[in-house]
Amino acid sequence: MAEVETGRRPRLLRAVGGAVVVVVLAALTRYLEQNVPVFTKGTWLGGIAKSVEYPVYAILLGLLGNAVLAGLGVRDRLAAGFRTEFFIKTGLVLLGASINFAVVVKAAGPAIAQAFLLIALVFGFTWWLGGKLGLDSKLRALLSSAVSICGVSAAIAAAGAVQAKREQLAYTASLVIIFALPSIFVLPLLVDALGLSTAVAGAWIGGNIDTTAAVSAAGALVGEEALQIATIVKTTQNALLGVVAVALTAYFALKVERTGDAKVSGRALWERFPKFVLGFLAASVIATVFLESGGDRSVITTVNDLRTLFLILAFVSIGLEFRVAPLREAGWKPIGVFAGATVFNLAVGLGLASVLFAGFGG
Amino acid sequence: MSAEEGVGRERRLAVNEDWAATIAGLVLLVLVLARVVPGWLVP
Repeated sequence: MAEVETGRRPRLLRAVGGAVVVVVLAALTRYLEQNVPVFTKGTWLGGIAKSVEYPVYAILLGLLGNAVLAGLGVRDRLAAGFRTEFFIKTGLVLLGASINFAVVVKAAGPAIAQAFLLIALVFGFTWWLGGKLGLDSKLRALLSSAVSICGVSAAIAAAGAVQAKREQLAYTASLVIIFALPSIFVLPLLVDALGLSTAVAGAWIGGNIDTTAAVSAAGALVGEEALQIATIVKTTQNALLGVVAVALTAYFALKVERTGDAKVSGRALWERFPKFVLGFLAASVIATVFLESGGDRSVITTVNDLRTLFLILAFVSIGLEFRVAPLREAGWKPIGVFAGATVFNLAVGLGLASVLFAGFGG
Repeated sequence: MSAEEGVGRERRLAVNEDWAATIAGLVLLVLVLARVVPGWLVP
């Protein structure tokens, strides 16, 4: 017992140390975001500084912190404090408060249609491509879930469903982050170049970028409406995670492993359902009722500031968690599958978003 | 820790973070709406 406690304490201390690093970098992000435009006003840098939004500072500072901590040899020990998933999900629940529930209801139809079609097509394509390149079935399931649904969370759910190895999960999670990071900047640039409306842009970003945190970063770079639509689309995909995980459990039990023990039940679906989706919907309902019954609109501004704070914590954590080493260990085939699936996802996602969200107004 | 146990641990952690984030987000929202957390406190 004493041994367990002495083992837990250093782990907790390291997690707290990691969390302190995240908070300090987040505070620095807020400072730079608010003050760099003031410092550079009137200089040639002024125009650029004004257009640089908080996700850029947060991710760059996270990457810088990552390099420094790796150099000092303490990054892996502090990693337990880099809680991207917790920060982003809390931020998204708070984001629900800034979206009128009527908008959620209006967007739900096209978002569900897009999520179903995109998951089916991208999952199918990735599974097929992985098979063509001779990947192991479990790794194919992980990569297909990660690209088609919601990155790391989907990979974790799929890994549990197909009983994948820990290395396969770690490898897939690394691929997700490595591909998501550039897409945060590339997709908003493509949105500008293609002249997409904010709703189509949001739906495209929400349907394409794998991690929910990166979707929020790219959506925030395009604008508030794009961020809202991107979040609704991504949250819908997240909600379908349980369905895919249960289908994978059944497929592996009956077809691949042939154990005959499929355990397809309502309970299994509920266990894999991402609960923050309920928080997001509840926040939207609470804030809508609050405002409809004459509540003070300025209070929602405070909720939005709080949401931005959690998103900054999540974006800093993305930068801190970034790793390239696992890629060297697994060879080029899974990278090829992931890259091919990402390009396929981009093309199909753009087509679906353009059709389903054409003429969508807030 | 075996590879399968490692995946199980990751899954449990993800489920716990999911609930923790949902509760934290809703509690913060209610505190702000009830003006327990004032605007000046949020940087």
